[in-house]
Amino acid sequence: MTSLITIHKGLIFTIILRMTNDYHLSEDLTQDTFIRAFMNMKKVKSGEHFRPWLCTIARNIVRDHYRRNRNSPSVSFEQVEEFQGQSDDPIRRRVVIQDALARLTERDRMLLTLTYYEGLSLREIAETMKMTEANAKVCLHRARKRLRKQLAGYENELL
Amino acid sequence: MKMNSCEHLEKVIDYRLHRLTDEQEKEFELHLETCAFCQHELAIEQAIEEELSVKLDPGFIESKVMTRWRLRREQGIRSFWLYAYRVIVLGITAAVLAFILFPFLLRLPIKSFLEINQLASGLERLLGGLPQINPVFVGVGFAYALLIASSIFTIVRTRR
Ligand SMILES: [Zn+2]
Repeated sequence: MTSLITIHKGLIFTIILRMTNDYHLSEDLTQDTFIRAFMNMKKVKSGEHFRPWLCTIARNIVRDHYRRNRNSPSVSFEQVEEFQGQSDDPIRRRVVIQDALARLTERDRMLLTLTYYEGLSLREIAETMKMTEANAKVCLHRARKRLRKQLAGYENELL
Repeated sequence: MKMNSCEHLEKVIDYRLHRLTDEQEKEFELHLETCAFCQHELAIEQAIEEELSVKLDPGFIESKVMTRWRLRREQGIRSFWLYAYRVIVLGITAAVLAFILFPFLLRLPIKSFLEINQLASGLERLLGGLPQINPVFVGVGFAYALLIASSIFTIVRTRR
């Protein structure tokens, strides 16, 4: 059980942080994800379905959290302003992209995070998103375009 | 994208997502060598991808998760026994009440009903005396049955 956490905590934490934009909250929700997974261990079909299944739990944990607490993930434009004048700082780029992500739909955000998290196959992504692989590709293309649109005007912060 | 002046700019995302055919890809790569706008756009897309590929780490959470999980399981077992206890108490109460209420509702004398030698004849009347059964008795009996059934259902559900 402990090794399962070690192997997958990075993936789950990355997904949740991209979804919530809140470091401390993400740490708690990552723990919740593993606990919920362990409580439902009997429901996993087989090894190859484990990662999509775990990602789905993470997604539901985040949804449940915001359903309980009503407020949606915060868009921290103020935070971006604070970093101004430090465009060579990688943190600056992170905040700009994270903010752009926060303005996308939950589905786009999830899809983009899964796609660029190294090592996840298209099959696993499609399974987590409950889409066909072909559909996932189309949705990803649109999500990328929407993300680019959100970053319009911030181009110089990225380079 | 206001400052663009290249019609191929849209292709950069397609190129990065490998949505172009081999021929289109080669063609675009050739164009890329000479077009500053597309080069700029490609750099932006690569920067976005690079940032999205960053793996974030929650630090050492293993022991916290294991402790919380064990606690949750113990709580689950404890609440299972709590439910079991409740159902047993409920069942006994229901049975006791039934034995007092049934003869009362059937207008049987309680004293004689509780006497062991009279119990047999009491039950005989209870089972055989269909015309004596009134709707209230049936309703109360049904409610008890429902109550016990729902308790058992709760137990089964919490166990899973
Ligand atoms: Zn061009």
